[in-house]
Amino acid sequence: MFSAGDELEILKSILPFSFLFFLPLFIVISPVSMVGASHEFQIHRMHQYDLQGISHGCRSTHINLEARSLSNWSTQRHCVITRFEDITLKMLSDIKQYAGGLLIILPRDVTVLSQQEKQLLGDIETQLLKGEVNLPIYFSTWSPEFEVILRDVENSKLTDEKAPTAWDAILNSVSANGYQVVVSANKATPKVDSHIISIQGKLAGYGLEDKLPTIAIVAYYDSFGVSPELSFGTDNNGSGVIMLLELVRIFSYLYASSRAHARVNILFLLSGGGKLNYQGSKKWLEDQLDGLEGSLIQDAMYVLCLDAVGASNNLNVHVSKPPKERSPAAQFLQDLKSAHENVTVEVVHKKINLAEDFLAWEHERYSIRRLPAFTLSTLKSYKDPARDTIFDTVDSVDAKKLAANIEALALALARQIYNITALSNPLNSHISVDPEFVKTWMDFLTSQPRAPMLLSEKNNPLIKVLQDSMHRYLKDTKTIFHTADKRDPEFVFYDVTKATVYIYNVKPAVFDLFLMVIITLYLSVIYLIVQASIVFTCIHLYIYIYIYIYIYTLIKYVI
Amino acid sequence: MTLFHFGNCLALVYVPYYLTYKYSGLSEYGAFWKCMQAGGIYAITQLCKMLILATFFPTTDTNIHGQFDIIGEFLKATVDMADLLGMYAVLSGIPGKGHAKLLTAGVGWAGAEAALTRCLLLWVGAKGAEFDWKYIQKSLESNISLVQSITTATLVWLWSRHDLSRAAVPVVTAMLLLSSYKSLILDIIVATTVGPWTMLMLRAAYTLILGVTTLKIYAGLAEIIGIY
Repeated sequence: MFSAGDELEILKSILPFSFLFFLPLFIVISPVSMVGASHEFQIHRMHQYDLQGISHGCRSTHINLEARSLSNWSTQRHCVITRFEDITLKMLSDIKQYAGGLLIILPRDVTVLSQQEKQLLGDIETQLLKGEVNLPIYFSTWSPEFEVILRDVENSKLTDEKAPTAWDAILNSVSANGYQVVVSANKATPKVDSHIISIQGKLAGYGLEDKLPTIAIVAYYDSFGVSPELSFGTDNNGSGVIMLLELVRIFSYLYASSRAHARVNILFLLSGGGKLNYQGSKKWLEDQLDGLEGSLIQDAMYVLCLDAVGASNNLNVHVSKPPKERSPAAQFLQDLKSAHENVTVEVVHKKINLAEDFLAWEHERYSIRRLPAFTLSTLKSYKDPARDTIFDTVDSVDAKKLAANIEALALALARQIYNITALSNPLNSHISVDPEFVKTWMDFLTSQPRAPMLLSEKNNPLIKVLQDSMHRYLKDTKTIFHTADKRDPEFVFYDVTKATVYIYNVKPAVFDLFLMVIITLYLSVIYLIVQASIVFTCIHLYIYIYIYIYIYTLIKYVI
Repeated sequence: MTLFHFGNCLALVYVPYYLTYKYSGLSEYGAFWKCMQAGGIYAITQLCKMLILATFFPTTDTNIHGQFDIIGEFLKATVDMADLLGMYAVLSGIPGKGHAKLLTAGVGWAGAEAALTRCLLLWVGAKGAEFDWKYIQKSLESNISLVQSITTATLVWLWSRHDLSRAAVPVVTAMLLLSSYKSLILDIIVATTVGPWTMLMLRAAYTLILGVTTLKIYAGLAEIIGIY
């Protein structure tokens, strides 16, 4: 056993050297605790994709910056954190140029937004999606914790302006609550093996299939918004898909009975990539027209595209060329106008602008190939921001109105294919839209985001469900996979559509210095107390003994 | 925060121990090894306590319905009496006399506590990116527990003395109980939720009162038997 003095000596001689060795080692191996953050949220990244050789959206993913509000950010080292409603187009262009990152909190409740506010937010979305953005932009849904952070950041005293005095600066640094935003996502890489998937099926008419006229009904199923994970697209184009599926159901039922088997083929296509310049339709059409086999589409009566048909009962028929008198298309439009008392129909004529990179409506894909085609939509203009917005949620579609629209369309089609001109006929009772069906599909389609990049795998569950439901009612269903060319891809999708953000509560460096001064003062006081206590105790005891002797002598003296 | 903040917290925890060891005369007695022994006994005591708690109080979800289970908490706090036994073992195991013995026991005991409970917490917490006042509070708390340990050591020593005056025995016993049930009593008194800083102040005041009273009694006895 060593004596106590030896122990101390040994420790004293070993400790400094071992510290020199172990301390850096400890610091290196100690975990940089990511989980220690008091705030952790799921966030959604802005779109990133290349289309026809042009890059769109957000190019970076990683953030490790100080959080600032819209009003007090100033440099590349700040990540702006803000509510969606507070942002303006001017601020946005500044942020896009000079800030280091942007985290946008979506409105708490979209349904309470006025039409005008929605319009403004739509404008911002469009602005964000224009061209490339080099800073990482993320979106998050609202939560009470975020509200606290937002308020803290907005009222923060951490600014880059100089405080009037040093004392003010110190006070500010002590009371201020800073936040560090950390998103440690990988760099976004192009998704290999991504497809645009279209699903085709048909109802063959009575008789020789090749000799019969054909009607094609097309709806794209994907949706679009500023962030893929937030694009639920109920009206655009969930409603189109629902309408198509309901027509499939109704007409498969009619065609199944021999008496109602019409002499018209109906071709159904759920096309993919509708938001990417109608890539799905394009590919399908190329396959059909340029393939070796003859296709039904070559002598189609007309191609009917469905695009956002659930918001109101005022349907617009968009055409590139007004249909000729007595052509089947004109006939159909006549029928549609008189099909339902609540549904009004208006024809909107817009020529194809071949100079533009992007086509306005899906029917233009078919019109370019000289097929008679038109698009049915409740929207008046293809520029309507409601087409590509994350605010197109379940409340933007009125199930009743959608049902009425479906009914009108089904009646008009039935009149044409059965060649009945009378306004009322026994068919009406067979063509009834099942509201349950509409509701179920709407719930299903809006339960998950349907951005094209999220549906690009072959075994996507949503695609599987669509395939199955087409397969159930139709013959010859076929799934077409459109894969981008390896060397000159028409479209490139990127991963990292969502990430986790850690928001740390931090204090400025001055604060630690300040804290050090306080702690040093405190320890000095302890030092004084401990050192004095020995002396103090002695004096104390001395006084006690003195008093004791004094009293003792006093008592003795008195006695 | 940063390594700097970690350093700050570490200084706040351990420098008072060093100062107490160095300047209260302990270093002159060469009491380092004895302090370590006291720390070892502390560790063994805590292990026993943990075993007892884990065996007899298996589910600790007493606050499932939001109510304060006083009896359960009381029983759990009673296990803390083992600390007093441990302290007694330390005092009887350490040779020495007067306040050097008490300080050795107290500093060793509290030092072991600080090393075992605070070190890892600060290393993981205060060095992380997230700032929280919690770590400064924990550090200050360990300063309080230094005073508390010395007080407890003194009280146990006083209690074990035969020459303690009869009048002082109930006082010492009561104070032993008060220091043993400290956290429970504070929890009951401050039933409503108070801020962590207020709680810290209350704890400091409580410990200080106990400490000063103990010092008075000790001084009285020390004077009678003539050690200091």
